[in-house]
Amino acid sequence: MQGYFGRFSGTMRRFLGLAAALACLAFPARAASPDDPLEADQAFRPTVRLISGTADTSGRHGIDIEYRIAAGYYLYRDRMRFEVLPATLLIAPAEFPRGLEVEDPFLGKSVIFRQSATIHLPFTVSSVRPGQYRVRITAQGCAENRLCYAPFVQELPLNIPPGYRVTDSPVRPLPPGLQR
Amino acid sequence: MKAWLPFAGVGVLAALAGASLWLASTPTIPTPLKSEAVEAAPAAVMAAKFVDHEGKSRVLGQIAGKVIVVNFWATWCTPCVEEMPGFARVQARWEARGVRFVGLANDDPAKVKAFGERLAINYPLWTGEAAVMDLSRRLGNRIGVLPHTVLLDGEGQVIESRIGIYAEEKLEARLKEILPQGI
Repeated sequence: MQGYFGRFSGTMRRFLGLAAALACLAFPARAASPDDPLEADQAFRPTVRLISGTADTSGRHGIDIEYRIAAGYYLYRDRMRFEVLPATLLIAPAEFPRGLEVEDPFLGKSVIFRQSATIHLPFTVSSVRPGQYRVRITAQGCAENRLCYAPFVQELPLNIPPGYRVTDSPVRPLPPGLQR
Repeated sequence: MKAWLPFAGVGVLAALAGASLWLASTPTIPTPLKSEAVEAAPAAVMAAKFVDHEGKSRVLGQIAGKVIVVNFWATWCTPCVEEMPGFARVQARWEARGVRFVGLANDDPAKVKAFGERLAINYPLWTGEAAVMDLSRRLGNRIGVLPHTVLLDGEGQVIESRIGIYAEEKLEARLKEILPQGI
């Protein structure tokens, strides 16, 4: 085999290599056309961060969910739902950033997030048991003028380390029907 | 070993590279997009259960048509709502030729009814719960987006499955291909 290809000049071998490389590069570029819709998890990428009143001078406590939203995509604010599992860790209603108010002739007014959004979920208890939790988000969003995603669920792991304290900030009132 | 083989190989690779560069540089096809593999058997498609605006149970098999256009949509999906008046016009023009539309939504039946009236939709709008998106996924909509439009023959065999807005003129051109005789 070596003798067979050994008959080609260096220029020819370089040309062969170049042609093969071009073919390899160009076909995947076509396969991933910009018109192909992204998976929901690619279009809307959440990360979760534990906010500690002791570490954060703002005195806030709870978790921040930071969404990175792909260009040309948006999330509906009022269609987002949050849970922390197991449900022994209680959270107050989500605190959203301002967002962008849009008016749709069919749907009326709604608030959307583009590019990024950080949503805060405050804890409603003064002490939080350390352990492994999961943050479950149900969300809806769209690709501008093209298509929308049916409600999709995303889950993120949340680790609360031993010694985590939330006592630096006032404890929020519990929702109706719940007792401390 | 034949001496011309390497030159043929070079030619093939060069052609491949050229074709691939040309393909990569041409404008991409706008929506609608072809969906992925269809997993649902025709009998299962035709037997999937939904509910009409009066609360009566319905299956796609009850629709008698040469081509059944199944449109998955939702009242909160702006692109869906934008394309539906075009579907209503196509339905009116093609009804005599055996084309039947049906809209399927996992949505509040009262909202669906109100939207249908407001948009003057002239084809049935049925609702269902998880079964709607489940059927949509099995008909090629793996990533679960709306709108999703599927063209079935009278037996429930998929002719075409598209995600994204299906423009009125494109859909009509497709129907002309499927039913070239008109009747």
